[in-house]
Amino acid sequence: MTGEAAARAAEVWKIYGHGEAQVHALRGVSADFQRGQFTAIMGPSGSGKSTLMHCLAGLDDVSAGEVFIGDTRVTGLGDAGLTKLRREKVGFIFQQFNLLPTLTAQENILLPLAISGRKPDQQWYDLVIKTVGLGDRLGHRPTELSGGQQQRVACARALVARPEVIFADEPTGNLDSRSGTEVLGFLRGSVHEFGQTIVMVTHDPRAASYADRVVFLADGAIVDEILQPTETSVLDRMKNLDNEARAAAPGNAAAQNTAGQNAAAGGNAVEETPDA
Amino acid sequence: MLKAMLRGLLAHKLRLLLSALAIVLGTMFMSAAFVAGDTVAQGFTSLFSTVNSNLDVQVTGVSATGQDNPDVITALVPQSVADQVAKVDGVQESTAQVISDGARVIDKNGKVVPGTAPRFGAGWTGTSSLLQMREGNPPSGPDQIAISANLAQDTGYTVGDKVDVITLQPRKTFQLVGIFGYAGGRDSLAGETTVAFTMPVAQELMLGKPGNYTSVDVKAAAGVSQEELKQRVQTAVGPQYKVQTADEAAKSQASGVDAFVNVLKTGLTVFAVIGLITGAFLIFNTFSMLVAQRTRELALYRSFGASRGQVTRSVLTESVLLGLASAIVGLIIGIGVGWLLKKGLEALSHTNLPVSGVVVKPYVVVLTLLVGILFTVVAALVPSLRASRVPPIAAMREASTPDKPLRTLTVLGLVTLLVGVAFLVLKLTKVWKDPLWLVLGGGCLLVFAGVVMLAPALSRPVTRGLGALFGGSVPARLGTRNTGRNPRRTAVTAAALMIGVTLATAAGVFASSVKAGVTDLFKNDMKAQLIVQTSDFTGTTGFDPALQAKMRAIPGVTNAVAVRTDQVKLGGKSTGIGSADALAAAEIFTLTAKDGTIRPLQAGEIILDENAAKSLNASVGTELPLITTRGGEKAEKVVAIIENSQTWSGPMLNTTDAAGFTSPYAQQGYVQVGPDGDVGAVKDQLNQLFADNPEVNVVDQEQLIKQSTSFLDVILAILYVLLGLTIVVAVLGVINTLLLSVYERTREIGMIRAIGMNRASTAWMITVESILISFFGALLGVVVGTALGVAIVKIFGGDFLKLTIPWAYLIITLVLAVIAGVVAAILPAIRAGRLNVLQAIAYE
Repeated sequence: MTGEAAARAAEVWKIYGHGEAQVHALRGVSADFQRGQFTAIMGPSGSGKSTLMHCLAGLDDVSAGEVFIGDTRVTGLGDAGLTKLRREKVGFIFQQFNLLPTLTAQENILLPLAISGRKPDQQWYDLVIKTVGLGDRLGHRPTELSGGQQQRVACARALVARPEVIFADEPTGNLDSRSGTEVLGFLRGSVHEFGQTIVMVTHDPRAASYADRVVFLADGAIVDEILQPTETSVLDRMKNLDNEARAAAPGNAAAQNTAGQNAAAGGNAVEETPDA
Repeated sequence: MLKAMLRGLLAHKLRLLLSALAIVLGTMFMSAAFVAGDTVAQGFTSLFSTVNSNLDVQVTGVSATGQDNPDVITALVPQSVADQVAKVDGVQESTAQVISDGARVIDKNGKVVPGTAPRFGAGWTGTSSLLQMREGNPPSGPDQIAISANLAQDTGYTVGDKVDVITLQPRKTFQLVGIFGYAGGRDSLAGETTVAFTMPVAQELMLGKPGNYTSVDVKAAAGVSQEELKQRVQTAVGPQYKVQTADEAAKSQASGVDAFVNVLKTGLTVFAVIGLITGAFLIFNTFSMLVAQRTRELALYRSFGASRGQVTRSVLTESVLLGLASAIVGLIIGIGVGWLLKKGLEALSHTNLPVSGVVVKPYVVVLTLLVGILFTVVAALVPSLRASRVPPIAAMREASTPDKPLRTLTVLGLVTLLVGVAFLVLKLTKVWKDPLWLVLGGGCLLVFAGVVMLAPALSRPVTRGLGALFGGSVPARLGTRNTGRNPRRTAVTAAALMIGVTLATAAGVFASSVKAGVTDLFKNDMKAQLIVQTSDFTGTTGFDPALQAKMRAIPGVTNAVAVRTDQVKLGGKSTGIGSADALAAAEIFTLTAKDGTIRPLQAGEIILDENAAKSLNASVGTELPLITTRGGEKAEKVVAIIENSQTWSGPMLNTTDAAGFTSPYAQQGYVQVGPDGDVGAVKDQLNQLFADNPEVNVVDQEQLIKQSTSFLDVILAILYVLLGLTIVVAVLGVINTLLLSVYERTREIGMIRAIGMNRASTAWMITVESILISFFGALLGVVVGTALGVAIVKIFGGDFLKLTIPWAYLIITLVLAVIAGVVAAILPAIRAGRLNVLQAIAYE
């Protein structure tokens, strides 16, 4: 099965606004995300990395081009089709965890299955629970869990439905580095042990180093990619990107430099808001 | 700061609009009540001034019984006094008038022309600037009449027709010779109908006393003031006659209207206040939400150096502006509604009030605006104080408002509830009786307030229990959990609905208990299967009491009694009185003597019930002075005291002395049919007996029960319609709360949509929450309302009320609550369903 694309973008354009105020968030991006692969999408603020993920996940529509999840053409689906897609093929992990405060950890994990009226595969469920290491906290409400525990609940929630692909949006953005490491290790484990496909947006080179492949975006286009990245190789590549950007657009340099420095400072910067 | 604050106010337009609507409705009711009331009052006052425009001073008799019926005049002015008045120095012209209620025209179908307005019979005194002939001639012979134009229109009679009229005497046939109208093209002055006879005929038929008048209208000579003339006339006629200036006369004539206007004002104001209290809950909720939502913003002000007072004032200023704006809109709409009410009343009474548009007095404007602002500010007080407690540090924190524990509130609620229950128990056990408003009113209010305070603690378990009824689907479960999430908010929202439902339920319990009581009464204590009654209650209609013998003679009838009623002065006190064949009455009404014996009464004899005996301080053998309207003063000896009864209350006079009553007729007849008799056949016979009397009809027990309780249906109908409006306000509150919840949970809703919940399920989740809130409020209302209704029935009950719970009504209320919940959910559910998933997730 490996080698086949779990998610695919073909010549995707995303344009916001009209006329003078027009912003090209994505400029003809084409990318395949292989089954059983952990891909990180990186890039400075405003590079379009979040937009790309939103388009891939069917959360945002594209201005031109096509997006596929497995063999499903996402582009052009209506609300009912998108709902079906989300139920069956897509899982999400958010920076803000987004657990329902009224439900226990276990109920949160089972929510996607409950929504689509499916029964959990008990063996798989047990395995996921064991892997995320939440055994004794399952009856607790999110407010009674630490950030790391909450994010592990969110990961379990995404995994338990065995989606075609999990999209993770800055999953470690709100975590301290120890909790972040746990979550990243867990994500990598789920790819290598269970063959899960994960696409993660991050600006933290350390987080990206857990991926099998890093795709670099700048100015709405893919500019580079690294296979089997390390923290150093990612950091180097980011610096280069920064310099290139500075050379290309001197007016933007200061802002991008700040973003780069924050990223370099350990990836715990929380001020960045999603591109939308 | 004000500018920034106002911007904050405008940022939540929809929510404010919803809460404003509640205040608009309340102030609208209020201003409409006052505007319509003032307009009607002014209209009638100027109407009566018109009526009196031809006179300066009016002389009338003083009622012997101290009970003035403004329409049926029994206190008369004899010819000799009229002559005296004419001779007073300064009188330019004096006209003796006869005008009294009770001239009933039979229409072309043989029925009495119905009407709630007076049906005057008058003596013709000629045309004037006020009264003009429209057609034909004035009556000039004893068998001729002229009628007012509205009567001609209602009946279709034209000059030359034969017209039957019932007066103090049975129906007589007259020839219609003329039709008259009033100044300004009016067909009638205030909806009344008038039949004009020649003066001697009017004296005979309307007063029963030839040579007497109901009033003498006097015009002053030039240079003599009204006051002066009044003094002179009063001196001439002596103190046993009432002498009034035209203005005074107009005022006393308008007194009946004033009473009506006051009822209108009071009734609508009560509903306005209920609406405003409901609205206050809504405002409280809205401002609590706004403050919670703006925690960061407020903290920012604090960190810039705003004082607590400034923050409190800023929120209060918002509430003042909101209250003012709503009250202005309410006032404007209210003036419109007041105009509609005036038009409606005019249509109902066939009158044209001489007021163009409506009367808006300054006090109405001030009062409406003040009340609107007051309710809004009071409701916003607690939230604004809460706003001032936001610490500056909250600007830096994740905006989270931790739930305060409910324990204090719950304990307080429990105590309040228990004190309220204690009040009611004390009243019920008669340990503490007075003052009623405090014991009963205070008790009910405390019970209600206690439950409102307990509502937050109750909301979670109750809504969770109810939520189970929706099944275990994900949206239903999430909706149920969401309802329990913010118990205070859920409770306040539900409490708004609870007000209306509590009132309606308590009223429903009371009304159905009255109904059941009346039914029981007729079934158990009333031995008559058939009842003869007159078509209206003016006291002028009825049948010849001598017909009692004929009723009794009908085959199958075992007993019958004719009852006459009137208002008299007995033992120096004004009282209602009945007169009947004592033995027959005792049997049919199941009356038992407590003291003395019930026996046929001779002239000068009377029976009292315990209550009357107590209030008159009389016992068997006591002689009491009795003054009747037409019979003068007589002494009546008490021969028996009967136990208090629900079928007969007050004194029972011998039939001979009843000749002095206002009406010569019996108003009711009760006919007992023996076990072998055929009720239907007897009814037919009775109908034949009264065939020539169109004002009498014969009903059986069932019909009588229906008639006796029909007024309850009318009252309840009005109550339900108006309470329906308060429920509308409460539904606005539910919408408001849900919109806020959707707004607050934007990210959550985005997330569950992102993990695969479809729009319909999302909408259902919101709907479940909405239904649960509404149902919870209605349930509290039904429970509290039933409890209070039961308490009130037990307290007032005596033997008359029979506690009956209107189950069907209660179930309908709860069903309506579910429907209201579904309706309230529509807008918020659409909003939640339409949320853009991406934006919802990204939403901070």
